[in-house]
Amino acid sequence: MPPHQDSFRQPFLLRRSEWALVLAIVVAVGLTALLDANHSYATRPLESLRDIARNTALLGIFALGATVVIIAGGIDLSAGSMIALSGTVCATTMLALAPVEMMGFKPVGPAVVAVACAASLLAGFLVGTLHSWLITAIRLPPFIATLATLVGLRSFARALCESATSALTPTKSALVNVADPLFKTVRDNVWIPVAMFGVLACITWLILTRTVLGRHIGALGGNEQAARLAGIRTDNVKWFAYCFGAMTAALAGLFYVANESVSAPVNQGRGHELNAIAAAVVGGCSLAGGVGTVPGTVLGAIFLRVVIDAVSKIIKTGADVYEGLIVGIVVVMAVTLGQVGQMAKGGRKLLPGSLGLCAIPTLAILSGAIVAMTAGPRAGASVAGASVVLLWLLRAWENSRTPASSM
Amino acid sequence: MNHDNHEVKKDAAPHAVCMRGITKRFPGVVALEDMSLDVRPGELHAICGENGAGKSTLVKILSGVYQPDGGTLEIGGEMVRFVCTRDAEHAGVAIIHQELALVEELSVAANVFLGREKRTALGLVDDRAMAAECAQLLESLECRIAPDVRTGNLRVGDQQLVEIAKALSLHASIVVMDEPTSALTESESARLERTIAKLLARGTTILYISHKMGEVFRLADRITVLRDGRHVRTVNRADTSPEEITGWMVGRKIADRPASAPRVRGKQLLEVRNLCLPWPEHPRGYRLSDISLSLCAGEILGVAGLMGAGRTELLETLFGAGQSNWTGDILLEGRRVRFLHPREACDRRIAMVSEDRKRLGLFPDLDVAGNVSVCSLHEALYGGLLSRSGEDALVAGSVRETGVKTPSLHAPIMGLSGGNQQKCIIGRWLLTRPDILLLDDPTRGIDVGAKAELYTLIDQLCRNGMGVILTSSELPELLSLADRIIVLAEGRLTAEFSRSEATEAKIMAAATG
Repeated sequence: MPPHQDSFRQPFLLRRSEWALVLAIVVAVGLTALLDANHSYATRPLESLRDIARNTALLGIFALGATVVIIAGGIDLSAGSMIALSGTVCATTMLALAPVEMMGFKPVGPAVVAVACAASLLAGFLVGTLHSWLITAIRLPPFIATLATLVGLRSFARALCESATSALTPTKSALVNVADPLFKTVRDNVWIPVAMFGVLACITWLILTRTVLGRHIGALGGNEQAARLAGIRTDNVKWFAYCFGAMTAALAGLFYVANESVSAPVNQGRGHELNAIAAAVVGGCSLAGGVGTVPGTVLGAIFLRVVIDAVSKIIKTGADVYEGLIVGIVVVMAVTLGQVGQMAKGGRKLLPGSLGLCAIPTLAILSGAIVAMTAGPRAGASVAGASVVLLWLLRAWENSRTPASSM
Repeated sequence: MNHDNHEVKKDAAPHAVCMRGITKRFPGVVALEDMSLDVRPGELHAICGENGAGKSTLVKILSGVYQPDGGTLEIGGEMVRFVCTRDAEHAGVAIIHQELALVEELSVAANVFLGREKRTALGLVDDRAMAAECAQLLESLECRIAPDVRTGNLRVGDQQLVEIAKALSLHASIVVMDEPTSALTESESARLERTIAKLLARGTTILYISHKMGEVFRLADRITVLRDGRHVRTVNRADTSPEEITGWMVGRKIADRPASAPRVRGKQLLEVRNLCLPWPEHPRGYRLSDISLSLCAGEILGVAGLMGAGRTELLETLFGAGQSNWTGDILLEGRRVRFLHPREACDRRIAMVSEDRKRLGLFPDLDVAGNVSVCSLHEALYGGLLSRSGEDALVAGSVRETGVKTPSLHAPIMGLSGGNQQKCIIGRWLLTRPDILLLDDPTRGIDVGAKAELYTLIDQLCRNGMGVILTSSELPELLSLADRIIVLAEGRLTAEFSRSEATEAKIMAAATG
């Protein structure tokens, strides 16, 4: 049959859910442009774009790694700590190779920078290897293995930073300043991380869709036992996936160092692993494995950063205060909206029984509190009240239609 | 057992189950269309149909898992609307699912009373009372299972009895059994039939879903045939024959497989000498003990044996998919081999179709093409990258050879019927051009028509020079396909028959001996 008539074939460009994400991004940008009292999208469009692009690229680079791990049926909780470790390895390597220049905030030279960056990526490879060894040879569940490295690697990075600084500089320090002009160039030219993100996305897309390895990654995530019985060396595929995950985090760590001109293992990248997983999930990855696309994750990362930017513009606080809240809400909304169609057909309810009854005030208090903190107590109270009424109506509507749908 | 006494009480009482015009649609398919069914109280009503005929959908509607899109359902003369499985339980309908729904980590008693736990005066779980009542229930089913055993440690047949005990504890007046013998050995099936007789004697109505004509004709009072989601007809058992029923099921006469001309044996491909596979944690101490066999090109070696006899373990050991601590010799074309990973076996042109399609064979997230091409993707590479058209050409050839019926190469694999899924998996392995094909119960859960097609396919492959080792739970299948049959019992090889020597009776004697 001719391919253009084949309704089962995956669409060439984007799937339907991905077009929905594109629409959501456009809507979020449009709303921000309308509601922002400073009209910064209109008055300073380039600055806003640069901001979002930089943040998206930084998140996107290791979200691609998270995507590969998730499609392979695993999970990598350690990306944030890997970012910190990568930065620390880079900075301490430069400190060891060129201590005088580093302490004097002078250029260390491209060769040293190259060695330091290579050391970071090597660290990523080693951590990925450690993960896959723990998972395949010791048979730890991926969640446990990477939970251990999530806490362990940050501590390791801090210890490395302190012992390196006490050995190589007069004082022990919890951070290393990085002042090399190459890093400054990266910081001042947003296109560099964006280009890196773009190139990496293309490579990941190519691997996942057009190579044997990529097909094996999907097969492994979909049914590990069947993959093994089909002659796939599942342990090697996992090794690749976890190394890819850790090395993309290591790469992102280098950009964080450049961006902040410092390697600070105490806080750099803290909690970022969850943003990466969130971007993948919003982009359509299933944590059960086997499902997910690169365009989805790219759009998921853009969407998350656009919404975070929108909230910081509209309510004019530091983006970081509300970041976690936004990521949480966006993930819940994205996955819920993806299921609404199924729910309606399967007769499932959003607010069933007594749990649904208790969920009404819970959701109302949550939304009321958020609005109260951002727009004042009166608005908060009315939003809470309106939520109760709306949810109550939704529940009543659900209850009224259930018997009708069952027969 | 005597069914005639059930016939007497018809018409007086309202129907136990009365369906009128039940319809259930899924995206793209109508699973049930205008389905009407009357089940008389106290009868055993068999429901037959090929896979995909709508049997499972019918069960799920009766158990409240699915809600029909149209039509009415009456239980015992009362109109009901099941929104969840709990509703069905309250109406006295209990389901013994094809895939058992027990919590393996819990004890037998805890499973029987799951969701309805007995409490002490303090409101704590009363294990003792539950164990006592459970023991009573199990005894009434004449089965010796201790109520405090972890359910996962039981054999499938015993687990099924636990499900039946659960149905009894619910005081279910209607028990629906969905292909209950599909995973049972012959002796377990016989025990199940005795249990069914007891249930019927108590006045329980049984809906028995099966496509095994033997048991249907032994047990049923009436038989309903479904095809393509529609009711074909309902007949008294006495008024029909297995041939007529299977004819209605497939909607056509099944051509008898042509009496196969003798196949030409080629050179020896595989020889196994004194293969032993230890099993330290089991009182028997071994999974396989002292197995010797040989396989030539162009022959089918049948492996008979009850469940747990070691059939799967034997094939997995040959394929490098099981434990590697075996002793003995495996010689492939005269050279000793020890595969540590299925990959190594694939590289030596061995292929294995494993017994549990869903768990061990299919990739649910890949489409038909992805499932078929997964072992031979390197043949669709152009310049190091996968070529869509190359892959499609590869898959199209395989799909044609195995006769897979699919709306598209890119249709979801889970949308195909069991028989077509199995053909996809066989096609996957044929693309690797194996010399030896290991088939572990390849026709399990496959409908009659697809089985016949698979037999033809296997026969054809063999005639083209492949060596095939075939295990099966159905003896007639082995008797008609295999050139030689070896029999395993509890991990030991107890007999070897040539095609002309073998009979069902001889094989059963060796398998239980």
